Amino acid sequence: MSTTSQKHRDFVGEPMGDKSVTALSGIGEILGKKLEQQGFDKAFVVLGQFLLLRKDSDMFIEWLKDASGANSRQAGSCAQCLKEWCDAFL
Amino acid sequence: MPVFVEDPAHFSKSRLKSDLIAHNVALPPSKSKKEAYVELHMKHVDQKHAADFSSDEEDQVQEVAEEEEDPDDTEMPDPSGLTDDDLRAALLVHGVKAGPIVASTRALYEQKLRKLLQSDGHDKMNGTEKAVLYSDSEEEEENGEEDDEESGSEGAKQETVEQSGQTQKESRQVELLFQKGGYVYPQCFLPSSRLRARASRHREPSTKWNSGNVLKSSEQGRSRCSQIPAGISRASSVDQRSGLGSGVPSASQSVMCNDSFPSRKFSITEMVEEGSLTCFLMESQTSLSPNVDTEREFNGSNVQEHWSRSNRLDMPAVDKKNHSVYYTPEASTYERKTKLPPEPVKDIYKDLIPDTKTTPTGIHATRRRPIKGAAGRPIQYAYPDTPASPTTLERREVERRLVPIHIQILVFFIVASLLYFIYACIEDNSFNPFVALLDILSQESDIKEGLLLQAETQDRPALFGQE
Repeated sequence: MSTTSQKHRDFVGEPMGDKSVTALSGIGEILGKKLEQQGFDKAFVVLGQFLLLRKDSDMFIEWLKDASGANSRQAGSCAQCLKEWCDAFL
Repeated sequence: MPVFVEDPAHFSKSRLKSDLIAHNVALPPSKSKKEAYVELHMKHVDQKHAADFSSDEEDQVQEVAEEEEDPDDTEMPDPSGLTDDDLRAALLVHGVKAGPIVASTRALYEQKLRKLLQSDGHDKMNGTEKAVLYSDSEEEEENGEEDDEESGSEGAKQETVEQSGQTQKESRQVELLFQKGGYVYPQCFLPSSRLRARASRHREPSTKWNSGNVLKSSEQGRSRCSQIPAGISRASSVDQRSGLGSGVPSASQSVMCNDSFPSRKFSITEMVEEGSLTCFLMESQTSLSPNVDTEREFNGSNVQEHWSRSNRLDMPAVDKKNHSVYYTPEASTYERKTKLPPEPVKDIYKDLIPDTKTTPTGIHATRRRPIKGAAGRPIQYAYPDTPASPTTLERREVERRLVPIHIQILVFFIVASLLYFIYACIEDNSFNPFVALLDILSQESDIKEGLLLQAETQDRPALFGQE
């Protein structure tokens, strides 16, 4: 991905704290709602899943597509932003 | 004998249905049992793709034929039927290092394994053998185990269903924890002593945290003393720092501290300084850690004596003001104790607080400097040099390399006098090497001018001649 969205930069720029899942880049309201229904209501829960998958972006993208019905671009954006967040804060 | 884990009978109904649809087979009536689907599946799908979906006819002949046909399809486990460990092992065989296989990830890993198996199968198909993706199982497995197997093969789906529930639960727990720890959450990078200090502050005023001596001394309405968190009384510098904020509000009591020297007033900041000062003294003298016990040892029994005496004397003297107008809170027991040792602690010493103090946590923290003249307190001592800013350091560095100013002035005068000397020489014709030099130059120019004049005069006669 050549450029990153403002949302991505906002998320990667600081600890995620208690941010909602919609703060993740690529996760909008609809996807956020779907994820929340499955219990992924906070960004850190999604991060947990990401970490469970050993930060494997491909697996995570697959999971996100499955779980929320995201398309590849959205899932990829989310995975990238989580990965960069991990690089910065873990 | 090869183990065929998967057969149409193990498929879920929906899968059978979709398979049948995929092969353009008319579906049986919707109420029909699974057996009907299986039969149809075997009849149509399996015959079409004998390699892919081998039949699970119970007759031995077919079985043998299948075996002969596909002797190598032993390692075709159904991912959903595997245990977590097996699944991980199977993934490892395919070169995938799986992470923890838990409810929320298992479905993914199963999918991955399935995909890997499929790609392997395709490779084989391209190769010499036909790979069998879905081979049939043995008879004995088939008999009477259909339901079990079915549920097994449907495990993936069930797990995905369960997954949401479990993850929800997990996230709830996480959230709960998070909320519980929400207060201390931003502090989690601070030393635990600070947290402890906070906790103890919340537990005030009847904290039993300190020993009975503290309680004794903190009677008579001085319960606020215990508000000064354990941090201070424990005299680790970090604690003192953290306790500073909480202790300040209670700074409305005065206390007399009785010892060999005259009574002294205290403010929280002074107390803090005192504590760290003693730490410093300790360090400088015995290079010990600011541990209470060691200090106690260090001060010896003398301290205990002083201590008890001061306690005794303190009680009546609580409300007595010392010569200072300013109300200051009393020191906690520890502070008094540490102050009591015979070293005459002067205010100036307070400035000698070392920058770094060893703490039990190994974390170094700098204490906040009290505001100059805060609370109207006269400024009694000078502060140590403030650390220079990078720019001033840079400037100093530059200055160090510069020529000292007096040498610069000296050089200036030398140059100035030299210039004046030259000027004087030019003015004075009696002795002037410079004038001689100038003469030579002017002579040369004269010669050139002369030549030019000559050329002109030579041209002119010619012109006159023509006229």
